[in-house]
Amino acid sequence: MNFLQIERGISGIQPDVVFRIMGFPISNTTLLLSFIALVIFLFSYFKIRKFVWNPSKTQAIFEMIYEGIFGLVNQITGSRKLTETILPLIGTLMVFIGLSNLIGLIVPGLTSITYDGLSIFRTPTSDFNTTLGLAVACIAITHVASIKDWGLLGHLGKFFQVKEIYLGFKQSPGAGAMAIVGFLIGLLDVIGEFAKIIALSLRLFGNMYAGEVLMVIIFGGLAYALPALWMVMSLLSAVVQTVVFSSLITAYYALSVKPSGEVVSG
Amino acid sequence: MELESARLFAKAIVMTIAMAGSAVAEGYLIGKAFEAMGRNPEIADSLFTKMIIGVAMAESTAIYAFVAFFLL
Repeated sequence: MNFLQIERGISGIQPDVVFRIMGFPISNTTLLLSFIALVIFLFSYFKIRKFVWNPSKTQAIFEMIYEGIFGLVNQITGSRKLTETILPLIGTLMVFIGLSNLIGLIVPGLTSITYDGLSIFRTPTSDFNTTLGLAVACIAITHVASIKDWGLLGHLGKFFQVKEIYLGFKQSPGAGAMAIVGFLIGLLDVIGEFAKIIALSLRLFGNMYAGEVLMVIIFGGLAYALPALWMVMSLLSAVVQTVVFSSLITAYYALSVKPSGEVVSG
Repeated sequence: MELESARLFAKAIVMTIAMAGSAVAEGYLIGKAFEAMGRNPEIADSLFTKMIIGVAMAESTAIYAFVAFFLL
């Protein structure tokens, strides 16, 4: 490689272990994830609690972000009461995942800090463990919300629709046959839940990991001016993936609770 | 056929078919979005935002194929 190109190994799918705490391995993605969580917590504790009625410039920016997230969630759920219930969850998800995706691009040179040959920081969502954990936790939250609203039997009744078979045959044999088809579709919904988890985690992981790999390849090709194009694409894809993840979780949550009788305009 | 050449063939076929399918689907989606924007230009901004989300959803199967490419 001459001075026009930078050579670096493509990071593997499994993250590198940086150190161990009492036998528990801490990888470079976990380290950065903990730092991001700590920074968000400290910032909100020391700055956001001091927000006043007449906003300064930084406060106005944060209020704009808040209103953007509120508008997005309100559009998907269609009910203001449900939006106010889940806005803490969705807002946290968006800020957390958004910051994790963007941190490799906004802070320059973060992934080049190496210790002993390994880089000690790596984009947290480019690790399948992170995205799988997030997806499993969020789908579990939708299931818990469904059990709270419909009760345990009602929640299971969504997947095993035996009551509809009984009601259908009471009506007519034709409706009974349709009810049996409905029962089989309800069984497929169980597989659909696993498909949701896999789709959510793989989408976020694939986008971030592919972005990283392509960045290394482009730096190996030409290290001047060309990586800037891919960095812009990476910025766009980071923001789009946070919005997609959060709006999908909102949509799944809105589908799993009882529909509220509100009339929405616009 | 040896394992290594079979693996290379599999990588190529997986990526090509996935990319072709995803490109056709996204082109259709974006075309329909533009058509709708032409019929109702007032909500063009809202349609564009939703189109971006739809494109990210349609892209996801191509991303699965990309991950499979690195796993193979």
